Amino acid sequence: MKIDWLKSLVKVMVDNELTRVEIREGETHVLLKRGDAPVVVAPPAPAPLAAPPAESEPTPTLNNELFVRSPMVGTFYSAPDPESPPFVRVGDSLTSESVVCLVEAMKVFNEIKAEQSGRVTRILVQNAEAVEYDQPLFALAPD
Amino acid sequence: MFSRILVANRGEIALRVIRACRDLGVEAVAVYSTADRDAEYLNLAHDAICVGGPAAGQSYLNAAAIIAAAEVTDVEAIHPGYGFLAENPTFAQMCRECQIEFIGPSAGAMSTLGDKVQAKRLARKAKVPLVPGSDGAVENEKEALAIAEKIGFPVMIKASAGGGGRGMRPVHNKAALAPAFRSARAEAEASFKDGTLYLERLIERPRHVEVQLLGDRNGNIVHLWERDCSLQRRNQKLVEESPSPHINAKTRRKLCSAAVRLAKAANYHSAGTCEFLVDEDENFYFMEINARIQVEHPVTELVTGEDLVQWQIRIAAGEPLTLKQDNIKAKGAAIECRINAESPDDDFRPCPGPLRRMILPGGPGVRLDTHAHAGYVVSPYYDSMIAKLLVHRPTRREAFATMRRALSEFVVGPVQTTISLHRRIFDQADFIRGAVDTGFIERNFASTPRAAAI
Repeated sequence: MKIDWLKSLVKVMVDNELTRVEIREGETHVLLKRGDAPVVVAPPAPAPLAAPPAESEPTPTLNNELFVRSPMVGTFYSAPDPESPPFVRVGDSLTSESVVCLVEAMKVFNEIKAEQSGRVTRILVQNAEAVEYDQPLFALAPD
Repeated sequence: MFSRILVANRGEIALRVIRACRDLGVEAVAVYSTADRDAEYLNLAHDAICVGGPAAGQSYLNAAAIIAAAEVTDVEAIHPGYGFLAENPTFAQMCRECQIEFIGPSAGAMSTLGDKVQAKRLARKAKVPLVPGSDGAVENEKEALAIAEKIGFPVMIKASAGGGGRGMRPVHNKAALAPAFRSARAEAEASFKDGTLYLERLIERPRHVEVQLLGDRNGNIVHLWERDCSLQRRNQKLVEESPSPHINAKTRRKLCSAAVRLAKAANYHSAGTCEFLVDEDENFYFMEINARIQVEHPVTELVTGEDLVQWQIRIAAGEPLTLKQDNIKAKGAAIECRINAESPDDDFRPCPGPLRRMILPGGPGVRLDTHAHAGYVVSPYYDSMIAKLLVHRPTRREAFATMRRALSEFVVGPVQTTISLHRRIFDQADFIRGAVDTGFIERNFASTPRAAAI
């Protein structure tokens, strides 16, 4: 599932003040819910990174998902260096010690660990994307 | 001018800086902790980024996280607001080393002024009056007596290592000095393992009068007149006003010039405030310079018509101060009440919780600076101030009338606030006639017997 598609879906919801969208396509089931109050967007509209989530579940979730969240602000890197393969791919099984990515801040590259075990179902951020504290990076299916 | 700056703060001052940015056409990036995730004022920023958990140490005091946020959002400057990292010279230096301008004075000026000994030295150099004192440790009772006779009674014996009001003894006459000295020494040794004492004149019933300063990078410094902040409780200001009702025109001029002299001696730029104690004879004594924008800055904005936060941003961007001292006029009278989510009848216990009902005052002469709104949840992690209610009218008497009206219009519930306390304050005869001091609130508004016993 592409994160861009989900971002577009969220934008459609916000633009049209929808509070609930449910899509089933084959084995894929996506349910997006927004909070009760319409989001008041003052021009210029904040970028998706910017707007604090108006709803209690900031990321659209499938049932029983766990999230690996960023413990810090910085730039997300999916691989140890540009030449290497990424730390994790969809389908990988992780333990709490598994290094899942790097987050760089002030020229220091920090290895981020999963801190929980599970199987990677979705990668929620792109390489070199800015991430904030607590931002979900990976979705895991619990063991 | 900057194209984007980061606001390293929260609540009403973050909103204040965001507003200044929007007025200037500068993009503002707000930071927030997970506890402030749902704050509505974040929607007024161009961008908002979560920097850490609820505790201030994880978020608003987390210098690394804030600078990381500044880097990933590609800002050119950081405005620190007040409190948190605003007077942290290390943070100011870190920003500038990361090629991000810090909107405030230089790290050097900040650390000099933050050091009490150095600040006093600078005051002496600039011929700014200090509280007469012993200029260092006093060895024994004989020396103490000689110094006390020189500086004049009453004096305060203080412990160098002291704090929390301990190791302090007021002394009103010669006979009381020796026993007080011995007793202070014993308490200091017991509490701080350090019996070093010094002496200062005791200023009885002091007034707190401070001067607003603005300086640019070219060394031009002006004052924007004074504010009187004598209504305090446990060193927390409750009400501020300008002009000060306690000083005459001559004292006002001398005080404001002294502040400018000191700021120049400190190579100060950006906004700052020079604080003085004033005694009943209108002698004034330097206390300290606060190297930041202050909570009560809107009082000065109202009487002078200048936007101080915009000036901070413009100065940091390298613009010269176009204000000439002779053109800075103070008009009318302005007063501010700090509204806190606290219970005045229960020793000012903080009252976090949701503000289900909030009806705001308004109308002529009223300015309200608040990040709160109906539905806002006051969290327990930060200070309890929820709003600053200001009035500005041609005379102090009219300002009082408008403040009483505005306080009566202001409805907040169900959390308790200090609105009711302020309504009582504005009925106090001594305050109305302009004759209070820093002990006034505690003498007249001790809320419970428990408070008096502390």
